[in-house]
Amino acid sequence: MTTNPRRNLTNRYNALKSTGPRSVAGKRASSQNSRKHGLNSAPDFESSSEYRALVELIAGEEFSAFACADIAAGLLDCRRVMDAYYDTYTSPEPIDEFLRDANMRASNPIFSELLSPSGSEPQDLREMAAFFASMQRQERRKGGPVSRRSANTHKLIRYQRNGIARLSRAVRQG
Amino acid sequence: MLYNVHFGIYVDVAMPVEDKSKSLLPFLSSPKLLPNESEAEFQSGLQSLLSELDNPSPLAVALVSQLNECLWWIRRHTVDKELLLHESMARLLSREGSNWMGSGNSALSVALEHYLNGSAQKDQAALVEEALIDANLTLSDLRAKGFKDAARHIKMVDDLIHRQHQTIRHLQWSIDSIDYKSRLIRRMDLELAALESKQSVKGALTLDDKSS
Repeated sequence: MTTNPRRNLTNRYNALKSTGPRSVAGKRASSQNSRKHGLNSAPDFESSSEYRALVELIAGEEFSAFACADIAAGLLDCRRVMDAYYDTYTSPEPIDEFLRDANMRASNPIFSELLSPSGSEPQDLREMAAFFASMQRQERRKGGPVSRRSANTHKLIRYQRNGIARLSRAVRQG
Repeated sequence: MLYNVHFGIYVDVAMPVEDKSKSLLPFLSSPKLLPNESEAEFQSGLQSLLSELDNPSPLAVALVSQLNECLWWIRRHTVDKELLLHESMARLLSREGSNWMGSGNSALSVALEHYLNGSAQKDQAALVEEALIDANLTLSDLRAKGFKDAARHIKMVDDLIHRQHQTIRHLQWSIDSIDYKSRLIRRMDLELAALESKQSVKGALTLDDKSS
């Protein structure tokens, strides 16, 4: 990230005009932009070697074949959730230090300079300053790295709840 | 027969139960630790939990490993609560004072972290004290304000800790259920064996009566 405020704001201003990727590879890559943890996709445990090994191990404990399959899938599902939990916890969203610390009032001359070639109105300048100020507020509201990782990990609570409930039910009914 | 269970750990499905437990151990416990955490401490916690089980089955071992992981997460989240407070205090201090801009934030937050831990160097302590005077706050005022400011995130961490407690409760129910089931089966086996021996004694007596 460049430290020159003028260059940084110019880059962000130009990025706003972007219409997105055009190539197939670019579109494929950007289609994964909103992917967070992958826990909403249906897992295919049955074809994995871990699943078969677990089923055989649990089969020695007086569980029915159906219960063994259910328990093995439950165990693998819990493991998957806890792995995603760990990954989310250890890689928090990076802090945009420039946006967080920028003085937006002092940046007004830069905004007017950026807008001047397009013959813009004062209204455009106000809108642009307001847009960057709202981005800055959002960035500041997210807090530091610990706040970010707590907020992101908090989103995985429901997956953990569903996973452990499934496993516990399978073991107790087996 | 060998199976590659996870992380290159092989489990032989024909081995005795105790050996299976040992082989399964690295599979579901899979200690994914942070750089400053001790694996030995993690494993000793797991071993102490396992030692409370009487001849654990592979499934019980898997559940206990998950339980140990939950306890570990509770520890991490408890530390996070304090870190959140420190983070918020540093933010307030830099906002209240004159150094919100520039690189003052990170230097001040590092200094405050050391100051609160009691490991601050002279210049760091001076920086924090100067910032406190600048903001016209005492350390306890700052702590109270910081707590108020970070309340939303502290509540989130409390939710995470609560979730781990609920998970532990589910795991305990499951372990109890396995234990109860195995005991019930053992008791039924014993009763069946007693009935069979009674039956065979009766049969022998009737044979004796007939022969006499």
